[in-house]
Amino acid sequence: MPSTSLTLLASATLVKQGAEAKVYKSTLHPAPNLASLAPDKVQTDASQPVYVLLKHRFQKNYRHPTLNASLTRSRVAGEARALMKCLRAGVNVPGIRMVDAAEGTLGIEWIEGESVRVVLGGGEDGEEIQDDEQGADADIEPPDLLAVFNVNQNDVMVMIGTEIAKMHLADIIHGDLTTSNMMLRRKRSLLSTTSAENKETELLLIDFGLSYISALVEDKAVDLYVLERAFASTHPDSEPLFALVMQTYAEKSGKDWKAVGRKLDEVRLRGRKRSMVG
Amino acid sequence: MESYLYDEFPDNVCTVHIALFVDVANAAPLRARLVRASTLEGVEGDAEREAVNFAFIDAKLVTSRLHVQTALYQSIIAFTQSALKTKTVHSEVLWSLNPTNNITEALRRFGISDSSTAIVVARVGPQSDRSVIEEQMREVIQGRLVPLDLHNLTDWSAIKKYYKLNTDPVIVAQGQNLNRQRTTIDELVTSFVAMKSVMS
Repeated sequence: MPSTSLTLLASATLVKQGAEAKVYKSTLHPAPNLASLAPDKVQTDASQPVYVLLKHRFQKNYRHPTLNASLTRSRVAGEARALMKCLRAGVNVPGIRMVDAAEGTLGIEWIEGESVRVVLGGGEDGEEIQDDEQGADADIEPPDLLAVFNVNQNDVMVMIGTEIAKMHLADIIHGDLTTSNMMLRRKRSLLSTTSAENKETELLLIDFGLSYISALVEDKAVDLYVLERAFASTHPDSEPLFALVMQTYAEKSGKDWKAVGRKLDEVRLRGRKRSMVG
Repeated sequence: MESYLYDEFPDNVCTVHIALFVDVANAAPLRARLVRASTLEGVEGDAEREAVNFAFIDAKLVTSRLHVQTALYQSIIAFTQSALKTKTVHSEVLWSLNPTNNITEALRRFGISDSSTAIVVARVGPQSDRSVIEEQMREVIQGRLVPLDLHNLTDWSAIKKYYKLNTDPVIVAQGQNLNRQRTTIDELVTSFVAMKSVMS
């Protein structure tokens, strides 16, 4: 009998494949069968399909099955725990919808939006090949997308700095901060009506596959350094933008900034890896 | 009553029925009946257990449809992997809802109590005639079957207490904005139920 997760994935749409996992778009809870129930109208939240993103850490045949099972299990668990910790800390991340650690499947809320990388005109993740049909559009696209979300580049930088600061205050290290791992989406109407800030766009951090918990200044500084490098390589001439990320981060992280900022200068000089000399 | 058919689950647990009863008059005798059914032996015991073969959840501690659906979904996954922490898939639903690993506490908090007046009833099982299931529910519960509209019944302060959300930055930051806070709480508890199996 095929396992639950595999049957679920068979009917899902593959969105992206990486070395570690495949990502699918699917629905989790089918539409309810209300047939014999009399007059109550089908409620709005149940009538339209609610999508989830399924991240399946598939079987790695180059690993011993026992090792594979335990690695997969602990990675799915780690990612789920990091997301939960972020949710509690008020960091914008997708909600968790299902976890099947034995099969390596993590189901999270589907984010209807666009990655910051694309919004800033950094192109789609990886492949340039996909561009050829709309290569000419590439120059016009960024302003369009910013307009869709009704933000300017500076707004996005402030949102990035804010989320990372909240995350680091909760001692969560993302481990893979890039503009591809940040999504913009229009807030759900329910939230925007009562929202304190008047922006109707929010920024979410995604992909906590490499995340871990640490209060070390070193780890936070390296996390920022990784993002700085990612910015420099995907978005040319983005130094002034990134400066705004750092400025916001500094404001939002308060007293922690002094130590992290000092450490960041140190990391910039020596790179991500600590010197192993001595 | 709402029924959901999951293609990914094996035939014996592919269907979930969820119903909400309000103005329930027989919570105390029903609870006593559940306790008795668990210890009855022989054919009579099997019949009695079948009659009350549901998950009975106190509606006060359910924040949304997705909250309870998530608990059901995770319980069925555990069932298919023979990884149930409790005896049945239905008691597992209560365990999944409770933030700690204490089974007694889960049943006491999230199961029905003598004072319950609103109950969420759920059945996991093979594909079957919905009217039969609904009839079975009506037989054990003296109450009014209403659409699954849960958030007005939720006891938000109890939810915050049990899930230990009172000190979480995300809740504190929102202050007295109740609507926003409730949306956040619903998201938090739903996510929590989903990841309970890997809690720590």
